[in-house]
Amino acid sequence: MAETVVLLCRCFGEIDGVVDLDGIAGRLREENQDTSVYLLDSLCQEDDGPKIETLFREEKARKVITALCAGDRGHHSRRNALRNAGVGPSGHATVDLREGCAWIHRSDPAGATEKALDLVSMALAALAEKETSRDVTTAVHPRCAILGAGPAGLAAAAALAGQGIPVHLIDRADRPGGMLNLISKIYPEDDDAKSRIDPFVREMEVNERITFHPRSRVTAVTGFAGNFKITAEGPDGPFRFRAGAVIIATGAGVFLPRGLYRYGELKEVITQIELERQWIKGTPEKKRFAFIQCVGARSPERPYCSTICCPSSLKNAVRVVAEIPGGEATVFHRDIMTPGSVLEEYYRRSMEKGVRFVRFQEDGPPEILGEKAVEAVRVRDAGSGKEHVLPVETVVLSTPLVPNRDNGALSTLFRVGLDSHGFFSETYPLHPLETRLDGIFIAGSARWPVSSEKAMEQGQGAAMKALALLRRDRLSALSLSRTPEEKPGHGTVAENACTGCGNCVAVCPFEACALQERDGGRFVSRVNKMRCKACGSCVSVCPNGTMQIPEQNYRVTAAMIRRSFSS
Amino acid sequence: MALSIDPGIPGDPSMAVLVVGGGVAGILAALDLARAGRPVTLVERSQRLGGQVARLDKIYPTDHCAFCPLWTDIRSCLEHPGITVLSSATVRKLERTGDRWAVRILREPPVIEERLCIFCGRCESACPERAVRPLLDQAYPPVYRIDGDRCTHCGQCEPVCPTKAIDFNRRSVEERIVVQEVLWAAGFQDGDYKPLPEYGYGTHRDIMTALEFEEWTAESGPNGGRILRKSDLREPSRVAFIQCAGARDLRNLSYCSAVCCMHALKQAAWVKKRKQDINCTIFYTDLRAVGRDYFKYSINNVPGEPLRLIRGRPGLVVALPGGGIAVTYEDTLEQERRIERFDLVILNGNLKPSLKPEGEPGTLSLDGEGFVDIAVGFGCGFAVEPADIMDSAIQAASVSMRILGRENT
Repeated sequence: MAETVVLLCRCFGEIDGVVDLDGIAGRLREENQDTSVYLLDSLCQEDDGPKIETLFREEKARKVITALCAGDRGHHSRRNALRNAGVGPSGHATVDLREGCAWIHRSDPAGATEKALDLVSMALAALAEKETSRDVTTAVHPRCAILGAGPAGLAAAAALAGQGIPVHLIDRADRPGGMLNLISKIYPEDDDAKSRIDPFVREMEVNERITFHPRSRVTAVTGFAGNFKITAEGPDGPFRFRAGAVIIATGAGVFLPRGLYRYGELKEVITQIELERQWIKGTPEKKRFAFIQCVGARSPERPYCSTICCPSSLKNAVRVVAEIPGGEATVFHRDIMTPGSVLEEYYRRSMEKGVRFVRFQEDGPPEILGEKAVEAVRVRDAGSGKEHVLPVETVVLSTPLVPNRDNGALSTLFRVGLDSHGFFSETYPLHPLETRLDGIFIAGSARWPVSSEKAMEQGQGAAMKALALLRRDRLSALSLSRTPEEKPGHGTVAENACTGCGNCVAVCPFEACALQERDGGRFVSRVNKMRCKACGSCVSVCPNGTMQIPEQNYRVTAAMIRRSFSS
Repeated sequence: MALSIDPGIPGDPSMAVLVVGGGVAGILAALDLARAGRPVTLVERSQRLGGQVARLDKIYPTDHCAFCPLWTDIRSCLEHPGITVLSSATVRKLERTGDRWAVRILREPPVIEERLCIFCGRCESACPERAVRPLLDQAYPPVYRIDGDRCTHCGQCEPVCPTKAIDFNRRSVEERIVVQEVLWAAGFQDGDYKPLPEYGYGTHRDIMTALEFEEWTAESGPNGGRILRKSDLREPSRVAFIQCAGARDLRNLSYCSAVCCMHALKQAAWVKKRKQDINCTIFYTDLRAVGRDYFKYSINNVPGEPLRLIRGRPGLVVALPGGGIAVTYEDTLEQERRIERFDLVILNGNLKPSLKPEGEPGTLSLDGEGFVDIAVGFGCGFAVEPADIMDSAIQAASVSMRILGRENT
């Protein structure tokens, strides 16, 4: 029977070849009552899980220290075994006695032994002070809110509805489709844009799991993963619902090139979207087209490539050549951005079909000639160094997608970050559809300019991420971790000592802290455990130590320091 | 249990999915599928998960070390109860039986058994040929491997191993499983430069591919992050990065490999971050920096004197008898032909999907360039289309959703 069990690993001589483990075991037994010390040849070889579990039951111990190598390949099975035996993270500490002790102090065995004893004793001191965060759980509302009914939002809605998850699809417009409503055909398959919306619209009409809210916008959000409370405003007034997850797929705007390349002055200077409108109505009347790329993009004001403009121009240039009798198309560009296999092939095909390409340099953009109408384009061809004057009738400006104007408001509402350009940003390149908040996902051109094909792909992907949450009945706060380990705890307030200063509220990146009023007009901080990520920001700004993460509270650190300086 | 490895609803064995390839695309797809309740078998040809990304020193555009976030997902994959990871394994046969696939998988266990290796390093000290080395500095779990090219089978490592992890007579094992779907995520590898002798690859140690350069200069690599020539271990003063070397080239790969422009910009920036006065020249065709913050990265990321960007594809790379490498090119924006001497030449672009049209088990449909035909089968990552980390991650999530969707159709 012992309160604490210490397991010392010999690591086949790798540790006890330098460190006097038997001596340490004796000292530990001497100095710590209520502690059992075991020496093992190895803690990782055979499945030591069951062994530890049994040992625990026999000892009725509540805490354990494992002293072994830094690699520790057995930690997963051990963690599970400990959990089965009723020991959580606050009851377990590991100490590195191999890489950080025996190996680096090989030439000083006595010193290494002293250090090993110190390390294990510090862990014992720490364990004595560790406390356990109280976990909470929430019921998951198996419903998803999707903002934006463009290609990304529609694909996400169809995917989730297909998995039996009801969705609320909210859009500012009065019909679904988003940007697809504004364009005629989509690359690289050159299908009608309409053919991509129609199946979704049919699905929406027959699938009772999809509720479409036209001319609506979200006005308020509270809650957390599994249980967001969303308020929106529609043509019939405000409405509220709960959703376990949110997908932001609100798309992007199109940059209007006022004052560039005589746009607004000559009516034959149009944007890609205006050309698309002409194609939707029929075949454009003019024959000779110039396409100018990077209009307002890759510039100091908008230092990014909008990704979709090169393929869009290729698509329309090929159409001019193929569908307009006598049609001619020249693309004026700085670089042709068609990465990958599909788009590169698309580019090559456009050359074969007779589209001409002229490269210009950033400091020598093409010039539109003509007094009352477009007559020609003058450009210094970067490839030959010579100046050309090409007679044209229509100039099409390729302008970038720009962040929607309400991205800022949405980002404040949902606490989701924007990048330096104003698009919604992910947590990390490896998790491009996830935001820093659990349960909130991003897809389509709201996160970065993409083609409608790629937007649909992202919509499906975001739906996949949401599904992992929405298929559960309940979620626990400690389980909301992106590593195999549970969250190491969460911020916890000693209410009677809290002065309500609000520092924690100001620094919390996840909006987990909030002030609540108590009797007598007193304010205290409350931590929403479902939102807390145990980052510790609140602990560091709390003026009187009221805010702590119980597993790593200040007494733990103090005890370790005290032990390390006492002999 | 952490959500990252919580199976949630119990998996239905009849809905199992085979994922081929344990790189970023395969790992993320396996996790997405397993988190949605699908049992997954993940087959990886090499000894470890992580694929090409685990070999990268830094990733663009964040300049972070690649391994930490990847490591977290690898651990989740290894620990998820719904995922069975088979490393050192290849798919040998796929047969349609009814509405399922019968799969034969060949596992060729490494000489050093991973589960037994405690990474003590005694085998490394015992080996006279320096054939025993850590699998990868950052590999998890840490493990040693024997380099088959150097090993003479002298057997001196065997008796020193305290856990008897070393066994030269280990036999390969065939495993048979039945799955509902197969997802191809086999990634890419460096292509062959033999058909392209003008780049001089193989004639001089200082002409290398971008992936080789990445390992050579990695902070955890053989030189601790220093930029050196391979030929004489001296510092170079001029480094050339040749883009589209073998790509966008109808004699070799007709496609654009998509990742190389940013990869070269990253490598050049890191060369300069480590030693500012090294001249870095990137020969490009189109500078394809299209993702989030990629363009900014291309213009802002270099300390001191900026990178030299030259539009033009060198036509000849020749090692000079007196040292150095001559690069002949036309600067197509200045309309000038030049020959310049460099100390290191990095070839970028010849990246080929790993699956081979002739060598794969039946029923896998590949196009002429070796990409998975997604009209016929499921795939994600570079196996489908040249893709970087972000593209691969998005594809992994969306193809997982399409696999789930199939059960309803």
